[in-house]
Formats: sequence, structure tokens, C-alpha cells
Amino acid sequence: MRRKQNFWDEIQFIDRRWLYLVLGVFLVLGLNLKCAVSNVCAEEGKDFYATVMKVPEGGTVLIQSDWTTSTRGESQGHLESLLRILMTKRVKFLIYTFADPQAPQVWRNVIRVINEERESQNLPVYRPWVDYIDVGYFANAEGSSIAVRNDIRRFFSRQVKDDKGINRSIFESPVMTKINKVGDADLFVIVTASATLDVAVQRLSDRVNMAAMVTGVIGPTALTFYQSGQLKGVAIGLKGVYDTEYMMANGLNTPGPDGKIVVEYDRSEAPVPKITEGKTLARGASYIVALHFALGLVIFAVVVGNIAMFASRAANKGGKRR
Amino acid sequence: MNLVTIDFIKLTLGVLATIGLYSVLYQETKIYRFFEHVFLGLAAGYALVAVWTETLYVNWWSRMFGSFAEDGTTMAEPGRWAYAILLPIGLMAYFVFSKKNNWMSRIPIGIILGMWAGQQVFIWWNTYGPQINATMQPLVPTTWDTWFVPYMVGMEPAQAAEIRANIHLSQAITNFIFLLTFLSAFSYFLFSFELKGKFMLGFNRMGRWFLMIGFGAIFGSTVMARFALAIDRLSFIFVEWAQAASRFFG
Repeated sequence: MRRKQNFWDEIQFIDRRWLYLVLGVFLVLGLNLKCAVSNVCAEEGKDFYATVMKVPEGGTVLIQSDWTTSTRGESQGHLESLLRILMTKRVKFLIYTFADPQAPQVWRNVIRVINEERESQNLPVYRPWVDYIDVGYFANAEGSSIAVRNDIRRFFSRQVKDDKGINRSIFESPVMTKINKVGDADLFVIVTASATLDVAVQRLSDRVNMAAMVTGVIGPTALTFYQSGQLKGVAIGLKGVYDTEYMMANGLNTPGPDGKIVVEYDRSEAPVPKITEGKTLARGASYIVALHFALGLVIFAVVVGNIAMFASRAANKGGKRR
Repeated sequence: MNLVTIDFIKLTLGVLATIGLYSVLYQETKIYRFFEHVFLGLAAGYALVAVWTETLYVNWWSRMFGSFAEDGTTMAEPGRWAYAILLPIGLMAYFVFSKKNNWMSRIPIGIILGMWAGQQVFIWWNTYGPQINATMQPLVPTTWDTWFVPYMVGMEPAQAAEIRANIHLSQAITNFIFLLTFLSAFSYFLFSFELKGKFMLGFNRMGRWFLMIGFGAIFGSTVMARFALAIDRLSFIFVEWAQAASRFFG
């Protein structure tokens, strides 16, 4: 190991655990700082919001929820904001996963929490069978997606308990009565942290309108699909969560109290309304300050590290000359 | 035990596991190892049960045996005996551990490979067809009324549709940059012949720069994702657990 000769060397060889500690302190500070962050929403996020808001009241959305607690920081915010929009618009949904057997328990927790939140606000809660159907986990994303493409009624031909506790085919439920093929769904939304996005786009994007909510890691792949029109809109990472919440609170092309439009959307000349009931700014809004702190710290550390490297080289060269 | 106590115990265990796993940031200790093994064991055990309850039972077992109606005597769904054939086919995969009979494991593997291969033609087209199509961008402006796309909010739909049908100068420039990026990055992967001349070498180098900028953006997005996960864990400890603790301690 190189010997530390001066201050700049000390900076370069600082114990990484100090950096972790500083990062942790910054994140906790950011989480506890309650302040509004102004936002410029990403174009793909605006398209995502506009696409979801186009689904008519009483319509049906297919949700493929392929995430577990390992990406809770991003995907839970995604699913929460999506469900809040659907519940406000009284849109019904079928939810399932092709990715992980742990995923169903995770979304069941999210639905329960949002229902409790709505109940506390005297808003109608979403009931299984009447408002949504939960069909759980299916192995083999490739084979299952093909089966959905070919014959959705046969693939999901299973019985669940109706609102009276009697086993009935899910296609007798108000959620699924009009669904004879996958294209009959008003929208297909995949909330994912993995390559099941590719599998779904490859097998279903030519049959049904598709949008995605993905983690920052999957974001670049999703953007390619978005640019080519295979996805109608994408919410990416924590920024995507905050964008969605921000649009839920402000709408698109919708004037605020001062008459100014907060979020402009040039793909539509008409306003896309904001969400008028329940929570809008939630998980994304409470995490975004901490994310800014963390990214600011990284930029600072990179700049200081580079200055230290050049300064250390210059100092050591000078020392040799002497 | 009331719900507040259960909630507090559950979240406290979660907090201990989070701190235990994050202790690896300080150094690898027995505490970290313990929680790592607990996590792996729980995940494996949960997955095993969930595969049966969420998939095999509903999609295979109950379809094979059918189900009774509420009266318990008439069949609501008839059993389909052909599903029984799937069991021996699946079990054949385990013959991969037998030196003598491992040829049998190739049967289920062959079925899976065949299914996979059969899907590839339309999957290729479904993946790349729309992307190739989207690469064909117009480069010549069709209107010179304004250089930029006019502000359309609040405009009549017919008027907005007319504006959208035209290519403005700003859009043509954007499309040109897109095409330049695409072709130069594409040229970087031409390995079949040697690129000669200043123009081709420069174009190739430009493609490499664009690729590196792209990789940087991807890396940045990944870093943001990792921070989001850390923020969520800290929120779990300092917000969710703290709230549960304040409820528990009154």
C-alpha cells in the first residue's frame, strides 16, 4: 500500500466506513426534512400518467406485479401510486405475478394498507371479487405470458371466492366479465424489478396497451421500449414515483390555484385531471429529499476525490524534484 | 397479544435483521452471517411453500382432481387426468444426478428448449420490429412557419392535430442527432472489416464516446436505484419502526 505523504493522500485513503456513516446521517436528515421539492416530470412519466388516466371508470387493468421486498424502496411506491389512481377512478384490476412466489404477499400488504388509508378518509375500500381479483403466482414467465397471449380465459380459468364466500370462476366476477382476450383489458401495467419486462413486452405488447413502472436498474431497457412505442409510458425508479405523485397532485395541463399550469404536457392539448380524493404526495415525496441529499453527497465526494488525486500527484511530483 | 404489540415485535425483528445485514458495511461479523443465513433459509422455505400453494396446488393438483361445488356432492370442475402425465416428466429432470439414467433428464430439458426455440421467431420480431420501425425518423422539416413546435395547451384538437402532423426544424434536428448517435454507435460493432480513413475512424470513435456516455447514464440510474433501497431501509427504521414504538410505549 502506498504511504500517505500529505493531506491529499489522507483524503484519498479515507476509511470508507466514514463515508457510509456520513451517507447514513444525510439520508436520515433528508427523511426527516419536510419540504416541498419542485419537480420537472420526465416525458415518459407524463405519458404513463396520461395513459393510466385514460382508462375509463369501471374499466379493467391487468397488473403484473413482479417485485418483492428487495426493491421496496422503488416498487412499493410505484404500486401504491398506481393503486391510488385506479381506486380513485373506480377502475377494476386483476393482479398476478410471473416472477416470484413472494410477490403476492407483498402486494396483499400494499392493498391492505391503502384500503386502511381509504377507510380512515371515509372513502370506499376495494373489495376482492367485486373490485379486484388476486390470482397469485404463476411459474415460468415465458410460458405463462404466451398462454395469456393465446387464451387469457383458459390460462386464468380458476375459481376464487366471491363476495358471498362461494367458489366461482373469476370470469363471472365484475372485474373480468368483459375480458375474452388480453386486448380486451383497457391497460396492462407491469410493475417490475427484473427482466420480466422484456418477457412481457416481447409476448404481449402487440396485443394490449402496455405501460410499465420499473426500478432504476431496469429503466434504460424500459426507455428503449418506450421510444419505440412498445410501452405507452414508463415510471422509472424513485424519481418515477415522485413524478407520478406530483402529477396526481397537480394534473397535466391543469391550472393550479394561481391559474398557472404546474406540469405542462405537450402531447395533449387537453388537461389531464389531478387526483381529487385520498393521498397524492406519499412515499415518493418523503424519499425524494433524501435522494437529493445522497446524490449531492456523491457528486461532492467524486469532485473532492478527483481534486485530491490531481493535487496528490502534483505534490508527490514536486517532492521528487526536490 | 393486541395488534399494536404484534406490530411492534414484527417491526423490531425487521429492524434487527436490517441492522444485522447492514453491519457488513463495518466488517463481516458473525452477526451478519447469522442474519444472512436466516434470510436465505426463510426465503427458500417461503418459496417452497408458495410454489405449492400459489402454483402447483391451484394450477396442477386441483385441475387434476377437479373441485366439488358448495353442496359437497356435485363436481363444480371435472378432474382432468391428463395433468398426471406432467409429474413423471417433471421428475425425470432429477435423473440428472444419476450416472446411469441421466439421459432421462434430457427429455424435460428438450421439451423446455423446444418450447423456447419455437417462440423465438415472433419474439424476435416483437422485440426488434417496432424498434427498427421507430429508428426511421424524418430528417427534413415539412413546415418553416416556426422553428419549434408551438405551444398547444388549450388549442382546438383539429388545430393541434395539424401541428402534430408536421415536422418542425427542432424535431428534424433532434431526429438527426438520434440518427447520428444510432449509426455511429452501430459502426462501433463493425468487426468484419477494418475501418480506414479519418472520417470512418472518427465516426467510429464518436460511436464509442456515445456508448460510454450511455453506459454512464445507465450507471447513474443504477446508483439512484441503490440509494432508493437504502433510503427505504432507513425509513423503515427511523419512521415506520419509530411510529410503531411510540404506539407501543404509549
